[in-house]
Formats: sequence, structure tokens, C-alpha cells
Amino acid sequence: MNNQTASTPPSTMEKVSAGMGRRYARERRFRVYGMLAVTLGMVFLATLLFSIVSKGYSAFQQTYMELEIHFDPEVLGIQDPNNAAQISGADYPGLVKASLRAEFPEVSNRRDKRTLYGIVSSGAAFELRQMVMQNPALLGTTQRLWVLADDDVDMLVKGHIDRNVEESGRRMSDLQIGWIDHFLDAGRMELRFNTVFLTAGDSREPELAGIRSAITGSLLTLLVTLSLSFPIGVAAAVYLEEFAPTNRWTDLIEVNINNLAAVPSIVFGLLGLAVFINFFGMPRSAPLVGGMVLTLMTLPTIIIAARAALKSVPPSIREAALGIGASKMQMVFHHVLPLAMPGMLTGTIIGMAQALGETAPLLMLGMVAFIVDIPGGVTDPATVLPVQIYLWADSPERAFVERTSAAIMVLLGFLVVMNALAVLLRKRFERSW
Amino acid sequence: MTSLELTMEKPNLAVKESRDVKHDLTSGTPEKTVGEALLDAESARMTCRDVNVYYGEKHAIKNISLDIGRNEVVALIGPSGCGKSTFLRCLNRMNDTIEICHVTGDISIDGMNIYDKKIDVVPLRAQVGMVFQKPNPFPKSIFENVAYGPRIHGLASDKHELEEIVVGSLKRAGLWDEVKDRLHAPGTGLSGGQQQRLCIARTIAVGPEVILMDEPCSALDPIATARIEELIDELRENFTIAIVTHSMQQAARVSQRTAYFHLGTLVEVGDTDDIFTNPRHRLTEDYITGRFG
Amino acid sequence: MAREIEGHTMRRFDGELHHLHNLLLQMGGLVQNQFELALQALREKELQLADKVIARDRDLNDLEVKADEEVISVIARRTPVARDLRTVMSFSKVITDLERMGDEVVRIADLTYSLYENDGPGPGTQMMRDVHGMGRMCGEMVQAALRMLDSLDVESADELRAHQLELDSEFQSSVRRLATFIMEDARNVGNSIKVVLVLKSLDRIGDHATNIVEHVYFLAKGKDIRHIPPSVHRA
Repeated sequence: MNNQTASTPPSTMEKVSAGMGRRYARERRFRVYGMLAVTLGMVFLATLLFSIVSKGYSAFQQTYMELEIHFDPEVLGIQDPNNAAQISGADYPGLVKASLRAEFPEVSNRRDKRTLYGIVSSGAAFELRQMVMQNPALLGTTQRLWVLADDDVDMLVKGHIDRNVEESGRRMSDLQIGWIDHFLDAGRMELRFNTVFLTAGDSREPELAGIRSAITGSLLTLLVTLSLSFPIGVAAAVYLEEFAPTNRWTDLIEVNINNLAAVPSIVFGLLGLAVFINFFGMPRSAPLVGGMVLTLMTLPTIIIAARAALKSVPPSIREAALGIGASKMQMVFHHVLPLAMPGMLTGTIIGMAQALGETAPLLMLGMVAFIVDIPGGVTDPATVLPVQIYLWADSPERAFVERTSAAIMVLLGFLVVMNALAVLLRKRFERSW
Repeated sequence: MTSLELTMEKPNLAVKESRDVKHDLTSGTPEKTVGEALLDAESARMTCRDVNVYYGEKHAIKNISLDIGRNEVVALIGPSGCGKSTFLRCLNRMNDTIEICHVTGDISIDGMNIYDKKIDVVPLRAQVGMVFQKPNPFPKSIFENVAYGPRIHGLASDKHELEEIVVGSLKRAGLWDEVKDRLHAPGTGLSGGQQQRLCIARTIAVGPEVILMDEPCSALDPIATARIEELIDELRENFTIAIVTHSMQQAARVSQRTAYFHLGTLVEVGDTDDIFTNPRHRLTEDYITGRFG
Repeated sequence: MAREIEGHTMRRFDGELHHLHNLLLQMGGLVQNQFELALQALREKELQLADKVIARDRDLNDLEVKADEEVISVIARRTPVARDLRTVMSFSKVITDLERMGDEVVRIADLTYSLYENDGPGPGTQMMRDVHGMGRMCGEMVQAALRMLDSLDVESADELRAHQLELDSEFQSSVRRLATFIMEDARNVGNSIKVVLVLKSLDRIGDHATNIVEHVYFLAKGKDIRHIPPSVHRA
């Protein structure tokens, strides 16, 4: 009897519990790997965002300084205050220079004087001109005005130029720092919200450069892309999914659409250059052509997403419609399409977000131009946000670094808004079922 | 005992020979349908003759001839994959949507061959409506669900008439009292049984002559099932109904005639009473008594 | 009995039908045994044996109740159709017939008592001859019917049904013969009536045996032959 009990094989329960420890350990290990992967991803994302935000947030502030400007008609060279041409062509930089000379009478050296003039942005003169042209009565009066400081001054104020470095090793001489401190101590130099960044076009001078033209260019391009790619993409998807017979031709088309989605975007740029610009003679640098090329690029994405959305509509709905005698067309347009719409919209918005971030094909189309003016239509020369970022990232001035980051923040903001829109639209459609 | 045997000769029982024929199970499917598959021209609404269905290479339905009478409920039963649903879907050409599906033979409704090249499937499907296995209301309001059919077929000349059709259909489907206060609530918000009755209302709203039902209660609980069965019984007065069901009890409860399908052949057709008390074919009997499947 | 009640995908259903069938056969065995004992008591004037028969009827009643419960349970839980439905319905009726047979057997035992209880003359051998003849015939019928119930093979159903007709006419002629005894001697009236009652019970037992055969025939063939007498077939 004893022998028998001794040789009894372990019960299932015993075998199971013996392996339990290892099973749980494996499970825990797997969970840890997962957590690690997620954490790593989060760290990368946080680092990226932190680096961009920490570099870029200061671009939303700009150094302004207060100058006492005497609108002296003599300095301006205006004899007749009613002569608009004279007012327009007057020597406004002279006013600024005069004001600075009055501020620091001890500066006599020619070279020092030129350095002194350099602390005020060249945009200050334009501002004064603007004021006088609007209100000629200012002539002859003396005003205390806040004007833009130069980008180097801005950098110093923001602390991007280190005062403790040896004089020869930094972009500002002790003399300049002395002048700036003079303004700072008097409370006549301060950081203000940078409206120029959001309202101006591009400029060689960082303190005068803004993203408005790039944003407008991007919006125009996206408008063209959306109005072309959405209808074409949806129509193509509906035809392929619902009406096309399955044969070798449709198989071929399907394979090609899937392949197109993987074609490098620069190739689309070359295609656009060759076909739209060289062959059809459309304008260069225009959102119209950019939008058309981006349409080519986003079409596969939209078609694939739209087909997936159509496929996901339950067959029971199709049967229900056919079963009470709806024609195929009625089935598609009354039932399938409305149900697939949220999915299609999501796909479209993802495609649009892709298009918004696209740079390479636009470079080929000349949308990399230096655009100061804000484009007024789809045929005006324009650039787009990512290209603007690319341009600024290439510029040597220190002040463009923070502007690049700020522009990236704006771009990311747009993407977030678009994705939020996708989610919102989807929710709305889902509710209205 | 011996003395008694002398007086006995084997009596001839007055029983139809076919009643006693039990085909051997192992001998496979029969060549010929047992029972009265065909009706006289007077009482037949749909007639099917030598119907064959192929899915590509697969011969799904083999030489089926069956009549469906006026104002009767015919139940199609059989194990999974026996072709009963395929056959049902031939009756309103729902199989047309499957590209590899190919139908031969002759299916007529009131003498009109529905597979004729001149026949348009759209009005045909209004004439032969269908209710599906899973309740599949459109993701629209209850009203819109029922109004959709009449609207696309142009059955109502104005809004008032449309409303009349909708209300009438909901009433006939026994759903009116439950939904009259929320006609504009989404149809998908109803319970499963209500959804199925909504689908039936939607089907009868276009005024069909024949209603095909493909396992209409398989997703429903017994109470909802009972209500649908009661409804089927009421609808019989005005419609011809063919119902595919996996529940033999349901077939027994709702139908007047029962057809048993096996591996693409129609094994036996008969009055439901006969099929469920004394089927003639061994395959039928084994199936309904739960001896294989 | 094989495939008549076997082969369900749900094997417990087979088991339940088997159980019911076994209860029936148990009842049948008991009835047959009771019947033989009652005849023996009558033949050998054994009142004790008759007592035993009367007492054992309770066992039969218990079995009847048990079998009826089983029938209800099978109907409720298995919702039988086709052959299964016929099986359960036939079995249910067979139960009733068996119980009635048991009652008739008890009646014979009772009559045995009243025939031989007093030390009176009792019925003469002549008077009892028909009883023994019909008893033997009836016993064979009961046995054959129970064999059929066991095997569910209805090949010889019509033979048995014909036996019943034979038994019937035998009963008629026996009654006529007994009438002559009464006419011969008025003192025979009491015994004759009792003997007629015994014969009537035997006739009833034969009827019930035939009923069982007809139920089993319906089970196996799906054809109700109850009211189609074999004589009609012969025509």
C-alpha cells in the first residue's frame, strides 16, 4: 500500500502549481518589457517636446526699446507736409539715428556710431514711416515711442548671449552692452509679446520675420489638396469597393494604389515639376501646383482608408437594403457611404496632416522661395510652414533658432487641432446614427 | 398457440407503401424527394423546378423542385451547410450579389420566371421580401427604417400616405404599441426582438407577396422568439412565408409544410404534422430526433 | 431493441428511454408472474397464493407511478418528436394497459377467494374447464405481447391481434356453455356468475395485451391500427 502511494504520479493540481511560479514570472517580465517600451517612447517624445518648447517659447516675446523721437521735418527732408510722395520717401532711419545720437552724445567715433545705430532694428524706421503717413500731424512733434530692438540685443536680453564670456568671444562688445544696460536700467527696454512673428512674412532680419505667409501658404495648399483628393479618393474607393468587378485589372489597380502609398514624396515633386509646371505651364511656387502634387501623394492614403471604411460596414446593412429592393446605387449612397464616412474622414484628415508636414515635393516646385508678401490666392507665390522651418533652420542668425522652434510649435499645434477635429467629426457622425 | 396460428394468414395492412419505406442511412442521399414537394397550379405561389446552384466548382444545391403555396408557411430545415439558406436566397435572387454563384433551373412566382433575363431584381425584391438572421435595422430612426422601402419604390404620393404605410406596417408587425411614442428614436436602440419585428415591418411596408426568413429568431431569447412566431402565424393570412430555421421545434410550431434538406438535396417534404410524428425518410427522422447533426 | 430508441447525439436521451423501457419490461414481467400465480391459485384452490397476488399489486402500482413520472420528465426535457414522440406516447399507454392487466389479475385472485373461501362445493371441474383453456390462451398472448414490447419487433403483430378475436369468440361460447350449467341446476348460479367474471377478466387481459401490441406497432411503424380489425385486412 505504501509503495503504491509513494509511486502515485503527482496530481494535476500539483503539476499545475509547480509551473505557476514560472508562468507568473514570464507574465511579469512581459509586462515590464511593455512598460519599458512605453516609457522609452514617452521619454523620447517628452525630450523632443521639451527641446522644442524650451528653445522656441522665447520667440513669442521680443525686445522693444523706448526712444524719444523728434519728427524733425528737416532731418526727414520734408518741405511740404502735404506731399505724400515726399513723406513716403523721407529719411526715417535718420530720425532713429538722430534720436540715438541725442541719447548718447558721447559717441563720436564713426564706427561706434554705426554700432550704436545697430541696436535698433531696421524695422523701426518703417514703423515711423507708417505712423507719419497715417498721421502727418506728427511732423515737428517729439514722441516717446517703443520700437523694435535689433535681434542681437534681443538675444542678449533673453540671455542667449553670455555677458561673462570674453569680449572677443561674443557677438556684442562691452560698449554695446553698456548702451543696452543704459536702456534696461532706465526701464526703457523690455520684452513684449511678439506680434510680428504671427503677422509678418519672412524677412532677412530675424526680429522682423514672421510665419503668416507660410501659414497662409499652407492653408491654401491644403485647401487645394482637400478639395481635390477627398472627392477623387472617395469616388475611387467607392467604385473599387462596391462596383468594380474583381478581375485582373482591378487587382492590378489595387496593387498599384498600395504601391503608390509607399513611393517617396520627392518623386511626386519631380512628377509635378515635369507635368504641371513644365508641360502645362502652371505657375511656379504656387499653392495650386503644390496642392495638386500633394493630392497625388495623399490619394493612395485616402483611397486605402476609405476602402477599409467601406469594408468595415457590416454586410447585414447591405443585405437589408438589397432585401427590400434598393438598387446597388441606393444601397451605397443611402446606407454604406454614410456609415463609412467617419472612417473616410479620419483617413482624409490623416492624409491632410501628412500633406501639411510634407516638404520634399514642394522644394521641387519652387515653394522654397523667400516670400515676404502674404499670398492672396492659389496662384500667388507662396511657401508652406515646413519649408519655412527648413529655411530658418538653415539661417545663420542666432535669433532664427528660436523662431525655427516656435514655427515647429505652431505646426505641431495645427496637427493637434486637425487630429482633434478628426476625433470630433467622428464622434459627431457616430452619434447621429 | 399452434391451434390459433392455423387460422391466421398475414393480413395486408391498408397503409401506403411509401410510409413504410425507410431508406438506409448508409446508402446516402436519395435520388428523389420523398413526399409531396409539388402542389397543384391553383395553390402554388412560387414554383421551383430542377434548381441547381453552384458556388464556383461546388455544387451547392442539386436538382431541387419545390412549390410554395399561397398563405402557407414552409419551413426549410436541415443540418448546417445543407443548402437551405442558399435555396432561400435563390427565391429573391439575393445570391446575385455573390459573383461566383451560378443558378440553373426554373424559379417562378405566379408563373413568372424570376431568372428570366428581362426581370429586374429591384422590383422582384419588393415582391419577395427578406428578413435576415441578425436583426439589421438601418442606423436611422424607427420611422425612417420602415419608410425607406416605400420611399425608394415611390409607394406613397405624399407625406401623409407615407405615414399611413409606416404606421400600418408597424401595427401589423405588432410593434406599434411599443414604439408609437418614439418613432424618431434610432432603430438600433430597440431590443433584439423589437429590432427583428422592425425588420419585418420594414419588409412588409413595401407590400411583398412572399416573405423569406433566414433564421429570424436565432439571435433572440425565447420570449422574443415566441412573439415573432405569433407574428409569423398572423402574417400567414396575407403572405406566403418561407422560413429557414435551425430550431426544429420552431419549424414544428410555425409551419404548415416542412422541407428537409440534406447535403444540397431536398430529402423530404410533407405536412409538418407528418414530418414531426412520422417522417418517411430515415435521414429526416434521424435529423429531427437528434440522431446526427 | 437496438436503434428503435438508441443513437441520439445526446446519449443521455438514449439512457432515459432505455430506463423507461426497462421499467415497462419490469412491470410486464411482474404482471405476467402475477397472472400465472393467480391462475395457479385458481387451479389449485390456493387461497394463500391468491393473497400474495393481491398484496403484490402494490408493487405494480409503484412501478406505474415511477414509469409515469419518467414519461413526463422525458416529454418535459427532451421534447421528443417523430419516432421518439411515438415511443414515449406508446410507452405511456402501455403503462396504463399493464396496470389495468394487473387490476384484472387482482380481480381473478379476489374471485378465487370468493369461489373457494367457504367450504362449499365450489364450481365443478366441467365448469372450470373453459377457464383453464382461456387462461392458457390468454397467458400465451400476454407472453407474446411482452416479447414484442421487449424486442419492439412487430412482425407477428397481426397474428396476435387475431388471437384476440379467437379469445373473444372463445369467451362468447364459454358464456353460452355456462348458461347451460345454470339452466341445469339453479344452485350453480352463484359460481357460474363468478366464473363468468373470471372469464371476463381473462378476456379483458387479452384486450390489454392486444392494445400493447397495437401501441408497439404504432411506435415502430407510425401507423395507428387500433380500430382497423384484422378481419378487415383479411377481406
